Amino acid sequence: MQQVTATPRPLSTADPRHVEVVDFMHYETELLDDLEERLWLTQLVSADIEYQVPVRETVERARGKGFSTNTFHLNETLGSLESRVTRGETKYAWAEDPPSRVRHFVTNIRVRPHEDGDEDLLRAKSNILIYRTRQSQTTPQMLSGERDDVLRRENGALKLLRRVVYLDLSVIGTHNLSLFF
Amino acid sequence: MKPVPKQDSLSPRVQELMDRIDSGLPEGRIPSAIMGNPEVYQAELRKIFGRAWVYLAHESEIESNGDYVVRKIGEDSFVVTRDERGNINVLFDACRHRGVQICRSDSGNSSHFRCPYHGWTYSSDGSLVGAPLWKNALSNMSKENNGLARAAKVEAFHGLIFATLDPTAPTLREYLGGMAWYLDLIFGLDKDGVEILGKPQRFIVDANWKSGADNFSGDDYHLGTLHKSVWSIGAFPVPFSENMMGYHIQASPGHSLSFSMAEYADEPGPNFFGFPESLAEHFDSVNISSEQLEVARRSRVFVGNVFPNFSILALPMTEDGAQHPPTGILTIRTWQPKGPGQIEIWNWFVGYKNMTPEEKERTYRAGLGTFSLGGSFEMDDTEPWLSVTKNGGSVAAELLDFELNYEMGLPGIGMATPVSDWPGPGRVFWTRYEEGVQRNMYQFYADMMRAEPGQWPEFQF
Repeated sequence: MQQVTATPRPLSTADPRHVEVVDFMHYETELLDDLEERLWLTQLVSADIEYQVPVRETVERARGKGFSTNTFHLNETLGSLESRVTRGETKYAWAEDPPSRVRHFVTNIRVRPHEDGDEDLLRAKSNILIYRTRQSQTTPQMLSGERDDVLRRENGALKLLRRVVYLDLSVIGTHNLSLFF
Repeated sequence: MKPVPKQDSLSPRVQELMDRIDSGLPEGRIPSAIMGNPEVYQAELRKIFGRAWVYLAHESEIESNGDYVVRKIGEDSFVVTRDERGNINVLFDACRHRGVQICRSDSGNSSHFRCPYHGWTYSSDGSLVGAPLWKNALSNMSKENNGLARAAKVEAFHGLIFATLDPTAPTLREYLGGMAWYLDLIFGLDKDGVEILGKPQRFIVDANWKSGADNFSGDDYHLGTLHKSVWSIGAFPVPFSENMMGYHIQASPGHSLSFSMAEYADEPGPNFFGFPESLAEHFDSVNISSEQLEVARRSRVFVGNVFPNFSILALPMTEDGAQHPPTGILTIRTWQPKGPGQIEIWNWFVGYKNMTPEEKERTYRAGLGTFSLGGSFEMDDTEPWLSVTKNGGSVAAELLDFELNYEMGLPGIGMATPVSDWPGPGRVFWTRYEEGVQRNMYQFYADMMRAEPGQWPEFQF
């Protein structure tokens, strides 16, 4: 089972690297909330992206958090993300047409130098809460979890190189995952 | 078919709805209310899920002695174990003492299960082995009579483990009837069989479990509208109109399936559901007949449902058409009931044991990107099912006697025609513009709902 929590203290919130990550995430969240998925993909996502949402089981405390290392809800590359975005742009992507109202709440951003020592890489963990309604629903679908990201500086700008989303659910309470974390 | 006796315990409303299925099916009519009525649902839990052979797990998920997984029959939890002697057990997850859940992880390996309440402890074969301070508390009490409760019958077919809570159930083979021939040609295609790839994906849909079973019984017609987007990303290689060519098969009462297949044996393919040639060259008739092998060879798509809620789908897919050509995927799933308007979908991907690690990785990624909670196909599937159930449970549906239309393929309706020279069992129709596959499911459903305890509908046409 994968260890989710790293031990060293994160960088100070006053550290310029922290500030840079926060700026990145706020902009990213705005694009996702506004369904600007093509823009998100082309501007903020690295061509080498690895994007995963592992399946989780309930297990005893001694066995860790129960995340599978080889089974996923999403396991994406740039090509499959591209397919996903392109599909959403067709007139027949019923799952999101009419679109969901989606709001991403990102908090508890913790930035650390990457364990490889590569200064172009930053490790950033954040808590995420996604609030989603469709049609006349008043009871939202909610997804809560931790994002464990690696951001890479490419031509001077940060890009999302890796994202693993550790959800606080073993059974997913939404009828699809036609959204991005 | 023998007339099925009426069952006193059905409420008048449920009885009426079942009778309306009976009278409506010959005209292709089904009352919408069965998709959301709470009384119907309560009856289903007992009459369908309390009696039918229900799929639980594949043997490859509990390979070693002590391995276990927790699975559902209806809404209830059962621990499926491989005990220390290598036997498979299906144990009700409830302590004999006070009925407390004894298995607190979704899967694992353990020689024993210990109840957290008072500490009664059971071995992985379900027998009671002890309890704290046995001498003081329980000396002279029989251990033999106090093991965990077990499913009435457990059997496996190609490693697929099924159980029933009804001791009067027929054998699994008898229950599967003609469907066994078709399960053979999927799961027995390679002599070394199949294995589950990873853990099940579980998710909740606010819909009725029958929508899933109905769709996988052979609803191919919906691809042209609901799944139109997937052709624009190259996820599936067979054009819609071509994909509608094939066979609809009522394998035996309740169980239905559909093949996408060209009319002529020398058609261009994809063959073997799109599995790569490097794999397909290992497919053989060691465990299946040469007729079954030939049907599998010609198949572009297989989709089917074992009544009530176990579905199978094999077809060529890709999650990234620009980088990877479509390849064969095999998904199996259960539509677990969680109320009249809720399903917990369990989704597993399956590989042939003889696949290389690269082939397993490719089929898994292609499957996950298409037929899963976040997949390009499946994310649209669940969308209409929500309102099928909402409307089914509505007052309007009741007051208007609202009925659903299942007329496609009835004599004179559309192009489907019966086929007489098919090598396998069942009632067979050419072209997939046909809804007899679903009518077959609902007829058996109504027969099961009205069957008295101990009585069963016919398992053969």
